[in-house]
Amino acid sequence: MALTITCPVCGKRNGYEFRYGGEEKGPRPEEKDMTPETWCDYVHMNNCVAGVQQEWWFHRDGCGSWFTISRDTTTNLEQEAQVAPNQEAINDEQV
Amino acid sequence: MKKKPMWGKKTKLKSSYDVVIIGGGLHSLATAYYLATQHGITDIAIIEKNYIGFGGAGRNTAIVRANQRTQYNVPLYKEALDLWPVLTKELDYNLMFNNCGNLNLMHSEAAMKAARMTIATAQFHGVESHLIDSKEAKELVPALNISEDITFPIHGAMFHPPGGVVRHDAVVWGLAKGATQKGVEIHQQTEALGIGTKNGKVTSVTTDKGVINTKQVLVSAGGYSASLINGFLGIRLPISVLTIQAMVTQPIKPLLNHVVSSGAYHCYANQTLKGEIATGAHMDQWPNYTTLNTAHYIKHQAEALSEFLPSLRGLRFMRIWGGLADMTPDMAPIMDGNNQIEGFFMDCGWGYFGFKSCSAVGKYMAEFMASNTCPDMLKPFALKRYQEHKLMGETAALVSYSADN
Repeated sequence: MALTITCPVCGKRNGYEFRYGGEEKGPRPEEKDMTPETWCDYVHMNNCVAGVQQEWWFHRDGCGSWFTISRDTTTNLEQEAQVAPNQEAINDEQV
Repeated sequence: MKKKPMWGKKTKLKSSYDVVIIGGGLHSLATAYYLATQHGITDIAIIEKNYIGFGGAGRNTAIVRANQRTQYNVPLYKEALDLWPVLTKELDYNLMFNNCGNLNLMHSEAAMKAARMTIATAQFHGVESHLIDSKEAKELVPALNISEDITFPIHGAMFHPPGGVVRHDAVVWGLAKGATQKGVEIHQQTEALGIGTKNGKVTSVTTDKGVINTKQVLVSAGGYSASLINGFLGIRLPISVLTIQAMVTQPIKPLLNHVVSSGAYHCYANQTLKGEIATGAHMDQWPNYTTLNTAHYIKHQAEALSEFLPSLRGLRFMRIWGGLADMTPDMAPIMDGNNQIEGFFMDCGWGYFGFKSCSAVGKYMAEFMASNTCPDMLKPFALKRYQEHKLMGETAALVSYSADN
């Protein structure tokens, strides 16, 4: 299962250098009007897609970047690079 | 060579059943078996995309035990353990239950302390479990390396004599035989494509062989359950599906007469009746639906085994395989029914505990479906516990398996 992950800084690297960071779930829900249901949904619930999903990775044994990729969970292959809907905003904030 | 069927005849899929079960693994077969034998419900179709025992049922390393952490889990696993000899007789099928005992190695004083807690829970529930020191462990398994100059020296162990190994394929065939004899139909090479609902009630299951009308459906499709349930009904689950690998060495003379496991080394091993050392460990930590293997994993196993069982150095691995583990944040399963949609039942999130639990869970899920009332034993496992922050404390191993915890 040759998993490789393309880090935006370090390029394509062995998947074992990275830590999986969960499915892309959009922005953290607003504290205002938060219900146990919406919080639980954000914290715990997954889509568990058998196919292509948008997901977070952390380059643990590398540059320390957090980033998203698209990967097919049935083949472990990365898909064409694309930016997550809210990743641009997050990156902007960090800059 | 003439083929002798292991279990019943092939039947044609009907247009309606009392109960449809998606997935042809052990939890499905056991539930169908108990529905038929204890509740008189025999108009059941088990829908399996591949063949029975294709998934976790035929890929696990056959270990059974009842030394879990919490008071909700232990009684369930104890009953499962007690059922192996009963099922062997009932099914008239040799399940090859070998209660050789489990030896869970502890590598620090903190681990010994945690073991004391686990053992107290086990003893409270009438499960035999003892704390022993490293010398006693060495007496039980002379091949153990109890010297202090290894990466994780052995401080002691949790010894659980009633656990052991059950032949997993025999359980698949035995339950299939027992269920089909009572009239349950098993439809292999039949893929479930959807669950139909109307006014909050289950009405049908769509398959690639046609639509089946039914009022009750159980999804117990092992690692595939979460994807199916979300795809069919839009119900999201707190599950991460990870690949877990296992392997066997070439056969050797009798060496290990117990299942030996180590949390610190992330490794467990037992010797099969053929003489192979069957061994496995933790999961690859990213969700996927492949059952592929990695060189990384083989290397890890070899390193771990050659430290705490040094006489295995130089042995060759003969076979390696992978299966899926659907992990939940609290390492405990999700069993629920009639809560999201009337007539919809689920039994999933078992991670790598599906095999050990199948006998008892089949019995209780059958009771749940037949009476439409959740048995007390299963009540703590409902999906709503995550919303109520009532997560179970099974994560005693201090290993983060899911990205969410």
